[in-house]
Amino acid sequence: MPELRDSSNHGSGKHTHHCKEYDSYARIFGLETEYGVSVTETDQSCDPGQVAMMMFAPVLSRSRTTNTYLENGSRLYLDVGSHPEYATAEARDPSDALVQDLAGESIMRQLVDNAQAQLRKTHGPNATIHLFKNNADSAGHSFGCHENYLVRRYVSLPAVNHQLLPFLVTRQIFTGAGLVNEHGFEITQRAMFLEDGVSSSTTRSRPMVNTRDEPHANPDEFRRLHVILGDSNRSQWATIMKLATTHLVLCVIEDAAKRGIDSGFEACSLSNPSAANQAMSTDLSCHRPVMALENIKLFRSAQQRFHANSSTDCDSAFVRYERNVQISNAETVSALEIQYLYWYIVAQFIEKHTGEIQASLPETSCLYVLNEWKHALDALNDGQIASLSDRVDWIAKHQLINQMSKRNPMLSSVQQREIDLNYHDITNGTIYPSLVHHKLMNTLVSDDAVQQALTRPPADTRAALRGTFIRCALRTGVSFSCDWTHLKTTVPVHGEAEINDPFDYRGDAQYAGLIESMKRSEV
Amino acid sequence: MPQQFAQSQHQNSDTSENQKQQCSEKMTSLRHQQDALDAVLDDISSTLETDAEEYVSSFVQKGGE
Repeated sequence: MPELRDSSNHGSGKHTHHCKEYDSYARIFGLETEYGVSVTETDQSCDPGQVAMMMFAPVLSRSRTTNTYLENGSRLYLDVGSHPEYATAEARDPSDALVQDLAGESIMRQLVDNAQAQLRKTHGPNATIHLFKNNADSAGHSFGCHENYLVRRYVSLPAVNHQLLPFLVTRQIFTGAGLVNEHGFEITQRAMFLEDGVSSSTTRSRPMVNTRDEPHANPDEFRRLHVILGDSNRSQWATIMKLATTHLVLCVIEDAAKRGIDSGFEACSLSNPSAANQAMSTDLSCHRPVMALENIKLFRSAQQRFHANSSTDCDSAFVRYERNVQISNAETVSALEIQYLYWYIVAQFIEKHTGEIQASLPETSCLYVLNEWKHALDALNDGQIASLSDRVDWIAKHQLINQMSKRNPMLSSVQQREIDLNYHDITNGTIYPSLVHHKLMNTLVSDDAVQQALTRPPADTRAALRGTFIRCALRTGVSFSCDWTHLKTTVPVHGEAEINDPFDYRGDAQYAGLIESMKRSEV
Repeated sequence: MPQQFAQSQHQNSDTSENQKQQCSEKMTSLRHQQDALDAVLDDISSTLETDAEEYVSSFVQKGGE
């Protein structure tokens, strides 16, 4: 692992030869998902920690550790507190990150199926293991779904705080997973647990963006933005959209930082990000002006400017400020108002740089993302919230709870919480599969694609090199270890290679030599 | 690659013919949607027959992040 560095916006200061993607808008995406474990219907008491160990027994017997990397380039491990965790391999496109994340779900299901069969031999024939892809248990513990974005080093941490954080907080109106708690229903699973904005702390308090600086790349060129405020999504649309829209916003921030100009997002800087996050989470209308900004005048004048521009610039196919957005005089703003301003600035930027921005995503259409984003904002703005229930997790869940309450007015708060948890139970949950089966939840990825991703990493990042190395080691029986940037063999051949450039999927001579030595050892 | 997000699909065309067709499709789809929602609610009703208290209270997770 690269040594931890201070997270300033300066690298070592050494002149380096930049990697070829440094000057483009290309991005590396990654998702780290922590899963929660519980057991029901056992004949005798059973500790979830013990169950998590049972799940990882096959991993332990293969790797002699519960922390391993797989053929598809991902990392599978048992985290502190017996959290099964899966970190996707590096992806250049949000759709690849989604497929890799779904492969992680599938791997977890296999581990649970094995463990459940074992458990039933000792704890009764009905013993059932539940694996939750969510972020909150029933006792007030929270755990994360962390997003990683490779960002150019010249983007400063204050820029992340003032220009990105308001977006991350407010995007949850279409990416939030929804939560039933003692206060009722909230848009996000995490808002009440996050106390800091941008900080390096992880234990004393939880920040929304962690500045722990492990770029897993050349630290003079890149930082790894570690976003921890997001929810775990079941919706495939929400997973792609959270990564893709964040990427587009980061493109604008990078361009402004590079050229030493304002991005325009400064107008959205929140005066208290965690208070804004909590206020957003409880405003199911998304309309109420619940967020205080550092400079409301700047925000209102930016709104006015874009509103005026859009009246004279209607020919543009996709840059059109929403006429229905009434510009208010309130001292505070709504999540929707902030999102519309982000959307407009991004749309205007893409109009100027269409080719370059499209080139940053090998597969996903940035214009389609822009349209989907706008469609979601318009639906929320126009009161058509239900129309998003096939793609937005919190809306799907909220609709089900409302409809069930109508059907059964005696529906208790515990039953509502059961519906909430069942939605995230990837092993024995029934609600999400039922929504998909009845075509009330969109899916974007075929089962075949997920099946392939169990053993196949993204082909256009260094994950391809790691995947080939692991496949080769498993086939030849060579003892190996690896992490995100290093590959090492010990018995019978000693060798190692660094894979420090996440965009390099071909490998250098050192890597080729390592693979060659492993193949020779087989003979 | 999710086809909906693939690069060949950019803009939705918005001609009036398309709008009419979309409107009629929408009506049919709304009816289907209500039937589908009822079916999902039936599934939820069966789920709720299990012990909700045990299901919820047994999920206690420590640590993480």
